[in-house]
Amino acid sequence: MKNKILTSLIIILLFGSLAILNLYPNISMIFGGIALFLIGMEYMEGGFKVFSGGMLEKILKKFTSNTPKAITTGFIATSIVQSSSLISVIIIGFLSAKLITLTSAVGVIFGSNIGTTTTAWLVSSFGLKIKISAYAFPMIVMGIVIPIFFKSNTYKGIASVLIGLGVIFLGIGYMKEGFETLKEGINLAQYAMDGYSGIFVYVFVGLIATVVIQSSSATMAIIITALATNQIDYQNALALAIGANVGTTVTAILGALKSNENGKRLAVAHFIFNIITAFIAIIFIYQLADLVDYLSVFINIDKNNYTMKLALFHTIFNVMGVAVVSIFIGRLVKFLNTLFIPKGLEKGKVKYLDKSVLKLPSTSIRAIIKESKHLYRNSFDIIIQGLNLKHQNIISVMPIKEVIKYPYSKYSVDMDKLYNRNIKGIYGEIIDFISKAQVNMSKDNIELLYSFKLANKYMVEAIKDTKHLQKNLIKYSSTSNEHIKKQYNQIRIDLAELLRNINKISFLKEEDEILLMLSKVKLHTEKYDIIANGTLDNLIRKNLITNEMATSLMNDSAYAYDISTNLVKMAEIIFVHTDANIDNITKDILMNEEDINLILSKK
Amino acid sequence: MGIKKFISHVKEFLSLDKSINSNKKKSIKQLLKKLKKRRVEVYKLIENASKEDKLILEEELEIISLHIKKGKDIFNNYVKLKKV
Repeated sequence: MKNKILTSLIIILLFGSLAILNLYPNISMIFGGIALFLIGMEYMEGGFKVFSGGMLEKILKKFTSNTPKAITTGFIATSIVQSSSLISVIIIGFLSAKLITLTSAVGVIFGSNIGTTTTAWLVSSFGLKIKISAYAFPMIVMGIVIPIFFKSNTYKGIASVLIGLGVIFLGIGYMKEGFETLKEGINLAQYAMDGYSGIFVYVFVGLIATVVIQSSSATMAIIITALATNQIDYQNALALAIGANVGTTVTAILGALKSNENGKRLAVAHFIFNIITAFIAIIFIYQLADLVDYLSVFINIDKNNYTMKLALFHTIFNVMGVAVVSIFIGRLVKFLNTLFIPKGLEKGKVKYLDKSVLKLPSTSIRAIIKESKHLYRNSFDIIIQGLNLKHQNIISVMPIKEVIKYPYSKYSVDMDKLYNRNIKGIYGEIIDFISKAQVNMSKDNIELLYSFKLANKYMVEAIKDTKHLQKNLIKYSSTSNEHIKKQYNQIRIDLAELLRNINKISFLKEEDEILLMLSKVKLHTEKYDIIANGTLDNLIRKNLITNEMATSLMNDSAYAYDISTNLVKMAEIIFVHTDANIDNITKDILMNEEDINLILSKK
Repeated sequence: MGIKKFISHVKEFLSLDKSINSNKKKSIKQLLKKLKKRRVEVYKLIENASKEDKLILEEELEIISLHIKKGKDIFNNYVKLKKV
């Protein structure tokens, strides 16, 4: 949604700029500058998403264990990438995949607010003192040339960042020039207003400007360039900066509308934080201005350098906001947790996939792994019910032979209904998410995602095989022919044991334990093959079962074998990749068919 | 210095190519250590196990030995790659 608004805005600005080019060339230049600034920001954000290659995500995940760490990390990360919206997107993705707590996420957002103030410092110190547009073209050219020689995503990302920076520099240059020439015709400073009425008016103007432009950084760049050319009064510029801070929350709320409950909670946290900060800043604006004057002496800011003083004011009131609101972070999180609680049946809905992280490879993979495990849990329940067993008995220490004595129900469960309700939707969403996510990924990651597509398919196939098996399983479990009853009960025992072992694997953390358990399960699955082990031939030869029973048993044991192999293949993928780490080597050591045959041949 | 050369210098300086292989080498080394430790534990358990448990443990031992063998092969491949 944000992208659509931004694209429309850039188009309007560019067309507007062209339309008034002859009539008001200076305003046209400012419009063009703002459009370029916004395009540059988009390029830079996109570039960082690709360039960081998961590094940014790793850092954000690692250094957010407590609130001070989360605030510092949010500050540093935003200062580097110059985009609080990129940090917000990553954090929403982490929250959705339950990789960090809401408290840490709120901390990062607070820190990110301080981080955005570095834009003001960069524009006021670097952007205005030297002719930065002179650096723009070499950067843009480099950004265009790099992808010609280097095809990897990393270089493409670096190229995008360079183009973005170059275009931002051009934008600032045009804005500055536009305001300078505008001054010769119209002097906006004549609209300066004193006192609290002026503060409120300019806070409102700053707010509206940011809502329209969709970027507080762009608004700050306009304010600073206008202030540098004396088009606005310093006091009014302070109020505009406060307004821009509030306006950015509207952008965040718009962005969160299509997000899940986590995105919405974070947007509310952001809103509360900025409203409180703005409220305090407005009340104490004169005292804060005095504090800026006082501190300026210590950091060698000239008393007439209002742009730098504005940057300092911007930082001070955001730091002050963080200091005040952080005290109540616990209460804030408690309140946030009461909001946007999903209603109705959630079992059949995705829990971890959030489309906002599609462009973040590492976070997307983590979300897919978590969602696949969610689908596994749902599949596990359905298969257990299909085998007419009780979930609590499977996961208990009850001897397996006892487990099959307690049926789930007297009647067969409707597998189609369960599949449609708890599997189909999630499965479809996972496949859709994988297809969209892999667009921005490396070859290795695409291969990893392909294996997850297969893992999910194996689960669905295991459910379908259970559905085929279900009818005869219930019929022959209560038949008077003890021989066929024994065989069907054996199928239930074997599958129950397999399900219990796979459930154990799902909780294992040590990779050597996972390897051993998976290999054992795989080995035992091969032993279940009653056609290969001669059981079926024996029953037919001795006329212990009818022909109809024999064909049913033959088909059903094949279904049971398929359920086992599908579940084992699924487990080999989703429980080996416990993280988005493609360096994982456990899968290379897993037993293959040759290894199994080697061990079986020794017996 | 050309852009290509500059980037290859940076790549070399940051050891970007080597880092993936060295990460894998490190994880396989750790895994082998754990597997060997487990093998020793199973050996000890077999000594005092009942006949039924002995069969299970022997199977476990066979699986672990196979994992160690495969792990060693992978490790040696990485060592060879590093030398090249």
